[in-house]
Amino acid sequence: MPELAEQAILDFYTYPPIGGDDWRYTFQTAQVRTLEIQMLSRAALLDMANAENFEQAADLLSGSEYALPRGGKDFAEVEEILQQRRAAVRELFSDLMLDEPTVELFRTRDDFANLRLAVRRTMTEKPLGTDYSSGGNVPPELIEQIFSEEDVFSKPVFPDYVQEAVEQAVLAYYQQKDIRRIDYAIDSVQAQYNLRQARRLRSVFLLGFFRIQIDLTNIRTMLRLKFTESEQPNVFLEGGFIELERFRHGLELGYEALGPLFFVTPYHRIVDTGANYLASNKSFLRVEQQCDEHLTGFLKSTVLITAGPQPIIAFLLMKENEIRTVRLILTAKKNHLDTKLILDRIS
Amino acid sequence: MDYGLTLALIGAGLAALLAGIGSAIGISTAGKSATGVLSEKPERYGQMFIMVVLPGTQGFYGFLAAFLVMLNLNFFAEEGVPELSTTLGLQVLIACLPIAFAGLVSAIFQGRVCSGGILMAAKRPEMAFKAGVVYAVMVEVYAVLGLLVTMFMLMFGIDWPT
Repeated sequence: MPELAEQAILDFYTYPPIGGDDWRYTFQTAQVRTLEIQMLSRAALLDMANAENFEQAADLLSGSEYALPRGGKDFAEVEEILQQRRAAVRELFSDLMLDEPTVELFRTRDDFANLRLAVRRTMTEKPLGTDYSSGGNVPPELIEQIFSEEDVFSKPVFPDYVQEAVEQAVLAYYQQKDIRRIDYAIDSVQAQYNLRQARRLRSVFLLGFFRIQIDLTNIRTMLRLKFTESEQPNVFLEGGFIELERFRHGLELGYEALGPLFFVTPYHRIVDTGANYLASNKSFLRVEQQCDEHLTGFLKSTVLITAGPQPIIAFLLMKENEIRTVRLILTAKKNHLDTKLILDRIS
Repeated sequence: MDYGLTLALIGAGLAALLAGIGSAIGISTAGKSATGVLSEKPERYGQMFIMVVLPGTQGFYGFLAAFLVMLNLNFFAEEGVPELSTTLGLQVLIACLPIAFAGLVSAIFQGRVCSGGILMAAKRPEMAFKAGVVYAVMVEVYAVLGLLVTMFMLMFGIDWPT
């Protein structure tokens, strides 16, 4: 599969290749295509953002799968419904995917998220808590037990990728006693694990997806480092389409020069718009929105696939994104945030 | 010893068999897509039906060619099947190949086109006929051409024994 080899950036204009059809997935693809029709439209989300208050925004969901029980206007109820929907989507994904390793790969997202919490809390000597996600491959009870006994290294019981992430995170923290290093270390292990698995699964789509994710994370990191004027050039993730030297060079330039620096990359608009907005509004809203939009654009390119795992993976990710957007709008409305800010984030 | 009759029967068998296999694969592909859509939108049954059955026509074309061979060999007459020279049998076999292979390949690919059409119809029902069915019929054309060549050769190119 020559497409699986490392790709030069100029091989594509906006999005990398998504791979070919896999006719084992004919039924599954048809099912998600139909479910995609039921997703909230952009207009519906904009209407919610433009609603006067939380109640009105919640009312706009009445005809959708996120509808609150009659009379329910409590945010806790909203959160419960959103969590139910997310669990249902993940269950559907697990049912539809014929390749179990792909399902396990997406479950590792929760493992890494749980790990971030557990390691952060352990390192800062805070209570370990019980609010871990149960959607991962490692049961949350095991994470709680191992970390509470502080027994992570003496008898490794976690899968290799979790064990590696813990070791790297702890090491990174003790090197600089900086809590952010934990996140950088876990992000790095996660990114490399994802790339390894995508190559093992011989999935052109997943490889492209994870490499875009790495690039977008690096763009965010670059802008955050510039904004906070931190000097940590070694926190960029390896394995994306963009060479790390470009990000390091970006740290030395002004905001106005970032757009031209990324002109030859598919991320020119993201960096240009995000950096200008950051410079003028001191806010990361626009870069977050642009990153989401770029990733969604890549996922939407799976419309070219008649049968294959790509549309199913894309559906899971777009649905999760929809749930996040609904939560974001309702949270913002509940906290009486300015409508313009919400629109800047989602539109 | 002449193998004419054997060769002619192999030709008729291949026409029915290969075109039939193609149709079965094509229908299964389109059918799986249709059931995927119908599991969420059962009201779309009518639109899906045409696109599911379209790849089935090649099987009938293959059967038609095989039937034509059998008819010309007096399979259904009381006097029985006549002796065929090896050359004549080979001619019959070759005449059957166009619909056999055109049917096999076109049915498989027509199934995929129908599958795509079904997915499109799930999102854009108004395009189901305009694009879904019309594109599938474009593939069908080549199966029809294969059938015509086979029929012309069988009817006008072979000197059948009387």
